[in-house]
Amino acid sequence: MSTDHPIEPSQDLVTANRIEDSTSAASDRFVFTPPIDIFETADGLVLRADLPGVSLESLELQIQDNRLTLFGRVETLLPEDAVAVHREFEVGDFLRSFILSDEVDYDRITARLSHGVLEVELPRAAQAEPRRIQVNAE
Amino acid sequence: MAVFRLGQSWDPLRDLEREVDRLLQGVNLTFHGVRTGRQYPAVNLHESANEYILTSELPSTAPEDLDLTIANGVLTMSGHRHDEGEIPEDRFRRQERPRGPWKRSLPLPERIQEDELSADFHNGVLVVRLPKAPQEEPRQIPITSD
Repeated sequence: MSTDHPIEPSQDLVTANRIEDSTSAASDRFVFTPPIDIFETADGLVLRADLPGVSLESLELQIQDNRLTLFGRVETLLPEDAVAVHREFEVGDFLRSFILSDEVDYDRITARLSHGVLEVELPRAAQAEPRRIQVNAE
Repeated sequence: MAVFRLGQSWDPLRDLEREVDRLLQGVNLTFHGVRTGRQYPAVNLHESANEYILTSELPSTAPEDLDLTIANGVLTMSGHRHDEGEIPEDRFRRQERPRGPWKRSLPLPERIQEDELSADFHNGVLVVRLPKAPQEEPRQIPITSD
C-alpha cells in the first residue's frame, strides 16, 4: 500500500519490444516506455510524458479501477520509398501505466497534448471529514 | 527478472540486490537501450528519390525554441525545451524526461540544395527535408601541354 505516493508507475512495465502487429502483417512494431515527470502543484499532481509522434487521435488514456494507462500510437512521417541512411532511434508506440492512490480525485482528472507532450492533471481529493463511530453498550 | 547478481545471495544482501534490480530495470525501460555517450537528440536520416529526410524526436519544443543553421555542408541544430525551469526542483516526485539546452552538428550528404531546406514539426517530431541537387552535366576538363 503506497499512500505516500499518490501516483506510482506500475511495476509490470513493458520493455522496448517488437510485437506482432495484427493489422499489418509485414511489420513488427516497437513499444516503448515513455519518460515521465511528476511534480506537485497547489491542487495536486501533474504528470508529463514525452510522446513524440503521437496525435490526439492516436492517444488512448484510460482509467480502470485505480490504474491509469496511456497508449500512444505513432505513425511514420516518411514516404513509402524512404530508405534509412543513418538510424539512431527506432520509431514505435508508447505504453505506460500508473497506480493511483485514493488521494487523487478521479472525476476531476484532465489531460492535454501539445508538442508531443502529454500533461495529465491529477487533482487532490478533498480530505474526508473524520467520522464518529457509534459505540453501543452490550 | 533480475539483471544484477552478486555471487552468493546472502540474506542481508538480498534486499539490496532486489532494490538495485528494480532501479536498473527502471533505467532500461525508460531509455532506448543503453545510453552512454549518445548525443541528444537522436536523429535518423532517410533517403528517397528526390530528397534526404532528417527526423528527430523533440517533444516540448516549439519552432521558436529551435535554431537550425547550415554552413559548409554541416547542419547545426540547437534548442531548449519549452517547459524548462517553470517548476521549482523540490516539487518533483519523479524526473525522467531529458532537460537542458542542447546542440548538435551533423555533416550532410553531398549534392543537396542548401537553400531549399525546409523544416517542420509534427507532434513533437522535427522533420527536415533536404532536396537533392539535380544531376550535373559532365564537364570537360581542358588539358594543356607544354
